[in-house]
Amino acid sequence: MKINIAKYYPLIPVYAVYLTMFLVGFFVPGLWQLVALLAFYCALGQSWNIFMGMTGYVDFGYVTFIALGTYGMALGITYFSQFAGLGIAIIFIGLLLALFLSTLSALLEAGIALRLRGAYFAIACIGINEGLRHLIEGAKIWGGSEGMLYWKELTEVFGTETAIQLTTLWADIAVFIIAVIAAFINVYYMRSKIGYALTAIREDEDAAKVMGINTTKYKTIAFLTSGWLGALVGAMAWGLKLTHVFPADVFVIHYTVECIVIVVLGGIGTLLGPLVGGLIYGLSKYWLAIILPGFQLLIFAPIIICIIIAFPEGVIGVVKRRVKGTRLERYIL
Amino acid sequence: MILELLAGNLIHGLLLGCVYGLSTMGLSLIFGVLKVINVGHGPFIMVGAFVTLAMVTIFGTAPPVAIPAALVVGMALGFAFFYTVMRRLIKAPEFTTLLVTFAIGILLQEVVKFTFGAEYRGYNWEVGKIILTITTIPMTKVYASIGSIIIALLLYLWFNKTRTGTAVRAVVEDSEGARVCGVNVDRIYALSFAIAIGLTVMSGVFLTMFIPVGINPYMGGVYTLKAFVIAVLGGLTSPYGAFFAGLIFGLIENGAYVLFAQIPGVAPFSLTVSLAFWMLFLLLLIKPTGLLGAK
Amino acid sequence: MALLRLENITKRFGGLVAVNDVSLEIEAGESIGIVGPNGSGKTTLYNVISGVYPPEHGRIVFEGKDITNLPAHRRAPMGIGRTFQIPRPFSSASVRENVAVGAMFGTLSGKVSVDECSEIAEHYIELVGLQAHKDKESGTLTPVEKKLMEIARALAMKPKLLLMDEAMAGMHPRDIDDMVRFLKKIKEDEDITIVSMVEHIMRAVAGFAERVMVMYRGAKLIDAPTTKALSDPRVIDVYLGRPTGEGEDAEG
Repeated sequence: MKINIAKYYPLIPVYAVYLTMFLVGFFVPGLWQLVALLAFYCALGQSWNIFMGMTGYVDFGYVTFIALGTYGMALGITYFSQFAGLGIAIIFIGLLLALFLSTLSALLEAGIALRLRGAYFAIACIGINEGLRHLIEGAKIWGGSEGMLYWKELTEVFGTETAIQLTTLWADIAVFIIAVIAAFINVYYMRSKIGYALTAIREDEDAAKVMGINTTKYKTIAFLTSGWLGALVGAMAWGLKLTHVFPADVFVIHYTVECIVIVVLGGIGTLLGPLVGGLIYGLSKYWLAIILPGFQLLIFAPIIICIIIAFPEGVIGVVKRRVKGTRLERYIL
Repeated sequence: MILELLAGNLIHGLLLGCVYGLSTMGLSLIFGVLKVINVGHGPFIMVGAFVTLAMVTIFGTAPPVAIPAALVVGMALGFAFFYTVMRRLIKAPEFTTLLVTFAIGILLQEVVKFTFGAEYRGYNWEVGKIILTITTIPMTKVYASIGSIIIALLLYLWFNKTRTGTAVRAVVEDSEGARVCGVNVDRIYALSFAIAIGLTVMSGVFLTMFIPVGINPYMGGVYTLKAFVIAVLGGLTSPYGAFFAGLIFGLIENGAYVLFAQIPGVAPFSLTVSLAFWMLFLLLLIKPTGLLGAK
Repeated sequence: MALLRLENITKRFGGLVAVNDVSLEIEAGESIGIVGPNGSGKTTLYNVISGVYPPEHGRIVFEGKDITNLPAHRRAPMGIGRTFQIPRPFSSASVRENVAVGAMFGTLSGKVSVDECSEIAEHYIELVGLQAHKDKESGTLTPVEKKLMEIARALAMKPKLLLMDEAMAGMHPRDIDDMVRFLKKIKEDEDITIVSMVEHIMRAVAGFAERVMVMYRGAKLIDAPTTKALSDPRVIDVYLGRPTGEGEDAEG
C-alpha cells in the first residue's frame, strides 16, 4: 500500500510548534508551568475538534470524558497500589480504566444521542454532565462528593521522590504526547475516508446517507476517538498530576466551554485551529490570571459570539483562504 | 406515614411544576418560532433570580414587584440579543446557533458574577403559610404557582385572541406562508424572542419565591437541563405542552425525592437531579417528539 | 430479471397519500422518464427508492433482492445513485472532494483508495465540463454548475441505476438538448440505467426517454412508450397543455 507522505505535511508546522514549546519549557527556567498549561489546552482542543469540528455536532457534555478519565486514573492508583510489584504498571492500568470508563459513557451516549439530530443531540448531552455528577454524589459512588485522594497510595508504590517526579514532570510530558497523538489522528482522519464522510455528514447528513455513508458508524468513530483522547488528557493532567478527584471539581461545564472557545477561535474542523486557539486562549488566561483573575470567560464569551457571527471559520480558516493556491497551502490544514 | 409524606411532597411538586412549566414555555416558543434551541436558557432564569434579589435587597420591595421588572429586563435583553446576534444567524448551520446561545448564557453568568460576586445569596419573605394535615405550604409557593398559572393563561389568550399572537402561530406553522400573507416575519421573530426571554426571566422571579436561597451566577445550569427534559416531554414546539409537562416533571421530581430519601446511604437531592437526566435519555430514546406534542 | 421492481408502493404522510399503489418495472439499459405535475408524488417515489423513508405498503426489489427496509446508505453501494432537485453539495468541500465522496461510498466502496477516488473524481468533473472549478469551494458555484456537480458526483458512484431529479429545470432549451445528448452518451459509456424525472419539460422527456410513466396525485396514470404516453388524452388533460412543447409549458 503506497503511503502518500505529502498528506502528512500539515503535521510539520504543528509538531514544530509543539517541539518549540517543549524545548522552551524545559530549558527556560520558570516557564514549564505555562507551557504545560498551553499543551493541556492544545491537546483538549485537538481532541474536541475530532468530534465537534469534523461532524458539526456539539457535545455539551464533553467534560464528562475528561472527568471519567480522571476517575479512571484515580481508581487505578487507589485500588491497584496494594498489589506490590506492579510499579509503573498501575499508571497504565489507570489509563486503561480511563479508556474503559469513557468507552462505556460514549457508547451510552452514542447509542441514544447519536441517533438524534443536532438540536436533540445537544439537549441529550447537556445533561450528561449534571446527570453523572449527581449520580456519583447521590449514590455515593467512588467516594461520592468527597471524591478520592491518593497521594499516599502513589508514594507507597513509587516512593516520594519518584511520585513527585511523576506528578509534576511526567504528567505534563504525557499531555504533550497526547497532543502529538491527537494531532496525528486529526490529520489521519481528515485525509482518509473517515474525513470525507464526516465532512459530508456535517454539511448535509441526509444527502450523505443517500450517497452511501453510514452516518451512525462514522459519527460513532469520531465520538469515541474524541472521548478517548479527552479521557487520556483527564487521566494525566488531572488524575495523575493532582492526585485527587472529586465530582464538583471535574464535572464542570467550564472546561467544555474552554474547548469551544479554543476551537471556534482557532478554526472549527481544521488541524492548526485548535493549536492556535489553545495557544491564544492559554496565554490569555495565564496573563489575565495575573492582572484580572477569573475574568477570562467574561472577555472571551463576547469574543466567541463575534467570531461565530463574523468569522465563523476562525483564525486558521482565514489563513487557509489566504494561502490558497500558494506553496504554503499543503502545510496548512 | 410514607404515603402522607409522598402526598405532601406531591402537592409541593405540583406547585413547583407550575413554575417549571412557565420557565419552559419560553424555550418552546423560541424553538417553535425561530427553530433555535436556546442552550443558554438556564442563565436567563438566573437573571430573573438576581432581578428579584436586587429588588428585594436594594430597593426593599416585596418579590412580586420584581415580576414586571423581570419582564421588562427580559424583553429588553431579548430584543438586544435578537437584533445584535440572533438575526444574523437565521440561515446559519445548526451548531452555530447552539454555540452562540451557549456563549450568551456564559456571558450572562460572567456579567452577573462581575456585578454581584459569586457567593450564594438569598432573601426572606414571610407571608404566612397554609397548614394542612399532611404538610405545610408556605404562602410564597402558593403565590408563585398562582402567578405562573396566570401568566400562562395570559399567554394563551394572547396567542389565540390577538392579531399578533395569531401571526406568531402562523409563523410557527410556516414562516414563508405567513410572509406571503402579509405578516412581518422579522418583527415577529424579534417579538417572539423578546417575549420568550421575558417569560424565562420572569420565571426566575417565581422560582426564587419557591427557593429563596442558593442564588448565585451559576445556578442556571441545572435549570437548563430540567427545562430540556420538560420541553422534550411536552413536545418541543408547544408552549402549552411545556406547561403541563412542567407539572408532570414537578410531580415526578418531588415524588422521587421522597422515595430516594428512603434508601439508606444515598444523597436524595443529588439523585433527584441525576434523575432528570436519565428521564431525558429515556424520553429521547422512546419518543423524541414528546409525549404531548407532535412535530 | 428486472433491475428495479416496484410492487404496489404506497407512502403516506399522516392523512396524505403521497404515493398510491405504484408499480413499475425497469430493465437494465432502459431510459425511463417519470413525469407528472407538481405534487404528483414523483419526489416521494424517488425518496422511497433511495431509502429516505420506507413505504407503508409494497416492496422494492433491486436485482432480485428485497431492499424495502434496507437503510439508505446500504443502497448506494448496491448501485442506486441519485441527484436532487435542488442540488445538495457539501458546501465547504471542493468540487473534487464532493465528487470523490461519490466514488468512495458508491459501488466502488471498499475497493478504491482515497487517492484513486480523487482521480476518478477528476475524470467525471472533466466529463461534465467543470474542470476549471475543480478546486473551488462547491458552495460558491452557480446553480447550474451545482447541478452539473451533482451529476458528476452521482456518476462517480458508478451506479447501475441513476435516478435524476429535475436535472434540467431552469435550463435553456439549447442546454436541454445538450443535456439529453450527454445523458444518452453516458448511458452508453457507463452502462447505466437512467430514470429521469421531470415536471413538465417535455422536450427533455421526448428526446431522452424510450418509456414514460406519468404520475398524477400519487398514482400511476399511464406507463407506456413515450409518444403513446404523451399523446394520451388523460395525460393531456392533466397538464392542460401540449405534451411536446416548443420549449414553453403550461401547468394546470
